[in-house]
Amino acid sequence: MKYLLTMLACAVFSAPLAAESRVTAILKSIEDQMKMKTDIKANVTLTQQKVEQGTKLIEMVYFRRDSDDSFLIVMQSPENEKGNGYLRAGENFWMYRKNTRTFQHINRDESIGGSDAKGDDFEQRNLTELYAPALDSQGVEIISDEMLGKVPVYRLEIKAIVNDVDYPRKIYWVRRDNNLILKEESYALSGTLMQTVYFVKYTVVDGRYVAVKHIYIDEFEKGNKTIVDISNILTSKLDSSIFTKAYLENLSK
Amino acid sequence: MNNYLISISIRNLARQKRRNFFLGLAIAIGMMILVISNGFTNGISDVMFNRIMRWVTGHVTISFNEKGNIRREVCRDRDRMISVIRQSDGETILDIDESIGTFAKAIGNGSADNIILVAVDLSKSVDAKKIKETEESFKMVEGSFYDLRRTDIENAAILSEEKARYLNVKTNDVIRIRFRNIYGQDQAARLTVVGIMKNSNIFMQPVVFSEMANVRHVMGFRPWETGNINVVLKNPKKDAVALANRIHEKLAPGRAVISGTLNHAGKSDPVAVAGYRSDVESLAKVAAILKPAGGAEVKKDGAFVSAKLAKRMGINTGSRVLVSYPNKFDDNSSVFPMNITGIFNGDINDNLIIVNETDFYNAYYDNLPRLPDGNAATEFSPAETHPLSPLLTTEWVLLKRTANTDELKKKYQDMGKQKWKATLVDVRTMYESASDILKLEGVLNIITFSAVLVLFFIILIGVINTLRMTIRERTREIGTIRAIGMQKSDVRAIFILESFFLTLISCLTGIALAFIVMRLLSLIPLEMQDNPMGMLLIQNRLHFVPSFAGIVFNLLLILCLAVVTAYFPARRAADFSPANALRHYE
Repeated sequence: MKYLLTMLACAVFSAPLAAESRVTAILKSIEDQMKMKTDIKANVTLTQQKVEQGTKLIEMVYFRRDSDDSFLIVMQSPENEKGNGYLRAGENFWMYRKNTRTFQHINRDESIGGSDAKGDDFEQRNLTELYAPALDSQGVEIISDEMLGKVPVYRLEIKAIVNDVDYPRKIYWVRRDNNLILKEESYALSGTLMQTVYFVKYTVVDGRYVAVKHIYIDEFEKGNKTIVDISNILTSKLDSSIFTKAYLENLSK
Repeated sequence: MNNYLISISIRNLARQKRRNFFLGLAIAIGMMILVISNGFTNGISDVMFNRIMRWVTGHVTISFNEKGNIRREVCRDRDRMISVIRQSDGETILDIDESIGTFAKAIGNGSADNIILVAVDLSKSVDAKKIKETEESFKMVEGSFYDLRRTDIENAAILSEEKARYLNVKTNDVIRIRFRNIYGQDQAARLTVVGIMKNSNIFMQPVVFSEMANVRHVMGFRPWETGNINVVLKNPKKDAVALANRIHEKLAPGRAVISGTLNHAGKSDPVAVAGYRSDVESLAKVAAILKPAGGAEVKKDGAFVSAKLAKRMGINTGSRVLVSYPNKFDDNSSVFPMNITGIFNGDINDNLIIVNETDFYNAYYDNLPRLPDGNAATEFSPAETHPLSPLLTTEWVLLKRTANTDELKKKYQDMGKQKWKATLVDVRTMYESASDILKLEGVLNIITFSAVLVLFFIILIGVINTLRMTIRERTREIGTIRAIGMQKSDVRAIFILESFFLTLISCLTGIALAFIVMRLLSLIPLEMQDNPMGMLLIQNRLHFVPSFAGIVFNLLLILCLAVVTAYFPARRAADFSPANALRHYE
């Protein structure tokens, strides 16, 4: 989940790297070809399947403007969430409840619309600012050439360099021809595999790759999975009035 | 008062045995109800405060919410905080506990459920009273509480009977849990069931206990860190608020400064790094003081060095510099990288680097810096009187004290309206955390007392009526004793004393009955595990805590009412003329 939204949200800023490694070069390449330089509007559909709860469809409209770190999420479904919204403007992150017509400050790790997605999944964060190549016992980067099905890929392992990430260790399977991620495994600090993501479909928007369909498999609680579909992506400049409380209130009327 | 008056009044009581028996019985029942209800409401408070809140929050809690996040409870310097608490008054403190726990998703054998993982510190020595309280609250069905100390298995844990049934696990089975560690990362762990307990209340059903060291490890706490700190007092009612106020006073934060070495382009220089507040108003003030060269803006992500330092070190706007500093708690050093966004010309020490509070606190809390001589105010940081001083970051933000639950709620609502970068520190007592319980106790007492007063009003009408009948029956007797020399006041006293003794004996009987009934009621086992009211029980039995002061107050009040009620008929009896009284005939 985080990765999809990070890709949507990729920032222009990138920290200078001390030394270019093979893995770092691939990570930078992933960033470069996926970072959007324009404002974005898109429809996001989450189909959440849980063992004891059945299937739940969550639809939202997502607006993003990187120039001032703003984004807006307006819930479309389920019915009890319709009209609710989440507004991030600079440092502030509000949740709007349509029923009470109130805004409440929330933390970035709170759930969005009852889904598994959290506020920080929608933030602008660079992959190379969060992760660095993982090294084996000899101090060598963990990267190998493999086949994922019939596709030749790099299998590379990265570890977090900051604390505030969901998973401290990840393994990527990246296409060798264009550096697109096809599969991602996320591990907890204990080494337990927590989640696998399959990036099923990409599309090109303004010369950048956007993963428009991916599947999140919950490896901890078997049987749970979330399918994410992104559609109607627009990259035209968004009006400043969109990222305001008033807009969200009016939209929800 | 003459003893013969007392003798006469007591003897008179025995003259109308049946009438006084029934009247006394009514008074005794009223008193019994009053004592039982007083014991019950006090019992509720006792259970809530001393059996639940005491374990959950202690009598006084010092909470630490990093970045204002209520789910990120981390104290980065445990020993310093405990030292502050001890210094605030070690005499009144019984115990200081670390409060560490988290919500988690648990997966057992074929089913999953939410749990609350709670750390218990079995390395501490505990007295017999505490052991007894623990055993009363958590009755073990399988295993022993001390099996949590086992190290031959992975993360020994004890869970409730209900949770074990739901997760379909038994002793020696393994539960997998998923939770957020103190950094917000998804973490997984395995717990081995070593015991199953039977809880007396429904709210304890999701709780899973594991040893402190294990929970600290899986949650990512380092040895010098902890969660909230709970303080248990010898006499909480007397000392909790005063101690909380003293701790609050001592926790006034100092300036947060990182003292280290600036490294850039092969050069190094000692520097201090301070953070600046990032709200709009503060940013404008900081900009006015720093006067960055070239009109550079002071933004929320800025980092500024002085013109002299920049020249000396070859730093330009856009340079990436590193400040290394020794850690407070280990022998390692940390590196704080920053991108310089401006060069200032203000009247500030050359070797002070000023960065935005977000980056500053991230570095500062990640590894607290070791300061020269342990002093936060380094030679490079501005004096307290400098205009920049109030705009610089402090070690934490201390929330104001509150008096009750309503104020506490409002404080947390206000806290939620702001975006915090620092750790919010709050000092509160369980009386303000749960003042609603005290209100409930008060309301229950008022309701019971009012009901019993109505009962007593009816009873006292009976007393008046009985006294009037008695006086009427004894009119000639009054005439006789008046004729042989007894004074009016003595006659009045005899009747008042008669009522007084009747009420006193009845009340004492009522109190004795109340204790018998409370004992009997507390012997009856009530199966209420799935009922929230079960939390008011101890070992599935009602819990009564009659208060001595409450009983004495009620007794004195009823005696006063009886005396006042008896006074008027007694006065009427005393006012009879002896001749008229002797002539009285029915």
